[in-house]
Amino acid sequence: MNLKLVLRVIGRVLMLEAAALVLPMVVALLYGESAVPFALTICILLAAGLLMSAIPSAPHFYSREGFIAVGLIWLLVSLTGALPFYFSGEFPSFVDCLFESASGFTTTGATILADIESHSRGILFWRAFTHWMGGMGVLVLATAVVPSLGIRSHYLTQAETPGPVFSKLVPKQSQTSKILYSIYCALTLIEVACLRLAGMPLYDSFIHAFSSAGTGGFSNRNASVGAYGSVAIDLIITVFILLFSLNFAVYFLILTKKFKDALCSDELRFFVGVVTLSTLLIAFNISPLYANIWESLRYAVFQVASIISTTGFATADYVLWPHFAQTILILLMFCGACAGSTGGGMKCSRVLILFRSIRREIHRIVHPRSVEVVKLDGKVVEESTLQSITIFVGAYLLVILGATLVVSLDNFSFAVSFSAALTCVSNVGPGLELIGPTGNFLAFSQLSKLILSLCMIIGRLEIFPILILFSRHAWQRV
Amino acid sequence: MKIVIVGNGKVGFSLAEQLVREEHDITVVDVREDSLRRASDMLDIMVVRGNGVSAATLREAGADTADILVAATNSDEVNMVCCLTAKNQGTKYTIARIRNPEYTTSLAELRRNLKIDMVINPENATAVEISRLLRFPSAANIETFCRGRVELVGFRLQEEDFLVGRPIHTLSSQIKKLSLLFCAVERDDNVIIPNGSFVPQAGDKLYMVGRPVSLDQFFRVLGRYAPKVHSVFIVGGGKISLYLAQILDKMGMNLKIVEQNEARCRFISEHLPRAMILCGDGTDQELLDSERLTASDAFVALTDRDEDNLIISLYASQKGLSKVVTKSNRQNYNGIARSIGLDSILSPKQITASHILQVVRGMQNSQGSVMNALYRIADGAAEAMEFTVSTSTKHLGVPLKELKLVPGILIAVIVRGQEIIIPEGSSSLQANDNVIIISRGNGILDLNDIYAKAAPAASENGGRA
Repeated sequence: MNLKLVLRVIGRVLMLEAAALVLPMVVALLYGESAVPFALTICILLAAGLLMSAIPSAPHFYSREGFIAVGLIWLLVSLTGALPFYFSGEFPSFVDCLFESASGFTTTGATILADIESHSRGILFWRAFTHWMGGMGVLVLATAVVPSLGIRSHYLTQAETPGPVFSKLVPKQSQTSKILYSIYCALTLIEVACLRLAGMPLYDSFIHAFSSAGTGGFSNRNASVGAYGSVAIDLIITVFILLFSLNFAVYFLILTKKFKDALCSDELRFFVGVVTLSTLLIAFNISPLYANIWESLRYAVFQVASIISTTGFATADYVLWPHFAQTILILLMFCGACAGSTGGGMKCSRVLILFRSIRREIHRIVHPRSVEVVKLDGKVVEESTLQSITIFVGAYLLVILGATLVVSLDNFSFAVSFSAALTCVSNVGPGLELIGPTGNFLAFSQLSKLILSLCMIIGRLEIFPILILFSRHAWQRV
Repeated sequence: MKIVIVGNGKVGFSLAEQLVREEHDITVVDVREDSLRRASDMLDIMVVRGNGVSAATLREAGADTADILVAATNSDEVNMVCCLTAKNQGTKYTIARIRNPEYTTSLAELRRNLKIDMVINPENATAVEISRLLRFPSAANIETFCRGRVELVGFRLQEEDFLVGRPIHTLSSQIKKLSLLFCAVERDDNVIIPNGSFVPQAGDKLYMVGRPVSLDQFFRVLGRYAPKVHSVFIVGGGKISLYLAQILDKMGMNLKIVEQNEARCRFISEHLPRAMILCGDGTDQELLDSERLTASDAFVALTDRDEDNLIISLYASQKGLSKVVTKSNRQNYNGIARSIGLDSILSPKQITASHILQVVRGMQNSQGSVMNALYRIADGAAEAMEFTVSTSTKHLGVPLKELKLVPGILIAVIVRGQEIIIPEGSSSLQANDNVIIISRGNGILDLNDIYAKAAPAASENGGRA
């Protein structure tokens, strides 16, 4: 493996992170808070980044370097992203800072903070901004703005972009990344404007726009979005988190006036179907708790959108809802958003292809000699892709089960341990009971917090870029 | 520029590889998923899976807005339909690979009816290239400029050559009179643009430009002058052989062609009544010896298998044939082949790719000075280009010694009317001159690209002989 190249790329990304930290530092200064935590982190990042990116190396990426670099970069970015929290002294321990930072970059939104509103504005801004960077991807950003990361740098973005198949919008990777980030920025700014018009303070608008753009879930209010009690704000956020959980290729197709291709995707229809069906089921199920059907619909659709997009905002404490509604939400956590979006979970296209493979398997049992291909959007899905999807789903479940086992050492109920593992791997945020929308992860042991942080990164990178780091073969020179 | 390549075979891939390096937006269309995956893993391109004749596939690949479409699938007919469809969708320039000899006779009509802007026949192009090498057997490679008035030849230095071990500027006046220029040297894997103090070593491959007559004389002085080729021994009876044999036959050479397939032998014999056709295994040394291989002046290996070609070429050169030409599509063998003494190695895929590349460069540069020819020498590490100087060219009339050129660029020859000038410090460019530029690496699209951004200073002087 070409370790020098990997280190050089890591160096460049750390410098990029240093540049990103300027923004919360400015916010802190604007509100008259101390900029020291940010300045200190920037110095450390710049020093490490300059040192690493000066390493000379051959510029050729191969699959191995790409995957290892992505895995290491996400671990390091989470680690260094925790430094401002640590230097601010507002967090109980470094592990808590790490958990918060990993939860931010992976757009999980799980927090260990009990009283969010007591924290300084610069820190809360950085917390939300990590969502925004992690949502579209740190390396996608790097390929868009850092020139000459290396030859075949698409291995980097490939490992970071969620979904069963990787495809570009235009031939050049750097161009693709630029288009993605332009769409991303534009949508975020539109959301800020909408929220501001709906009466949310400007600072809060930015925090919530960053959070929903990355489908993260950090809010600067203890009661999350519910604190505003405004139908308009609920609606705006519902629409935007759903928009951010669609494949960004859809927006590119719309921009290039290929409306038919954009709206006829199987995954999009599946996503819309799942959202509609879950909303109706939950609305009926929770209707006894609310005054009328409109009110229960309002809370149901927000919660469904928030969970399937793996954002994790809350307007109501769903822990108090009937178990049927809670179970639907848990199932939505598995499913997750669309491929190529900023959301987490297993991704709708994988679930859809899995269903179709199962149907084919049944056909095969009935007609043992039948030959049938699985299609998505009218195109044949390769057998190798089908196989990797099956393996992915298996690995996904194994990671969740393994994490549940470790977390259960803390002696919480099975619902808490399992939902903690699931919500972290799927990058959602809230779980059941203790860690519901109004709860937090403070009560877990240090070990559980570390494991859950790792789970978030494993889930964000779709498992293999992190698992490969534990493989002996990846590190061998030959 | 936006370029769509249909067919990700040998030519398609190497073309994509080259064009990506020049920062074009490339989309590759193919039906084979695995070959597309390999391409998209290795290159920064977009891939579209589908058949190139389908209008929907072409539209998905962006043929409606593409500047150039290259159809290089293995079927001539697919390539033709593909170009026609693309042209109707709005592609500005279409290039089709058409290799079936049956089509060559009606090519002009086909091109007009199918709106194909350029047709490339790799086998024919390779045959033309080989025939040129056989016409000038002293050189390992040969490229022509200005309709044959200037030639660029490459040859490998041997231990006993008098050039070895002394700086170029100390050469005798006899050589200096010849008006030719050592323009590039290939040493190991590097390309050097030599200056007067350059010391050639045995094993270097020297490239020089000049008039064909001067080059001829130079080889005479060097004692390497190979007499004209009168008889050629060809192994393999494929398309290239047929095209080559037809050209050589017209030049009045005696031909012996060895081909394994009897039906194919009959076919060749039908088209080439004067050539001697032998039915047998070309890799069989017994056959080669009994047919008096050593009595031929030149040997050309053109079987389907690169390995066979290399081995029998090696055998022929050991037998003392002075001119051995080998076809090898795999570039990774070239280094090995050179180390065992085979110099004239041609790859149809490279020849095709560089022809197309020349068109792409030319189109990109439609406003500036016109690029008339582009050759890639030293395995693509350097390029030789011919430009016509236009009035938009900068620094016209300024002596070269006052110009600052980009490093690795050499102005090798200036052709002004009937005159062929090997430039010196006092020479200058004038409008309507043809100039030949040697560039290490690539990326020169316009004549103005050769000037360094900084203030004028002394120019790089070539290794004048």
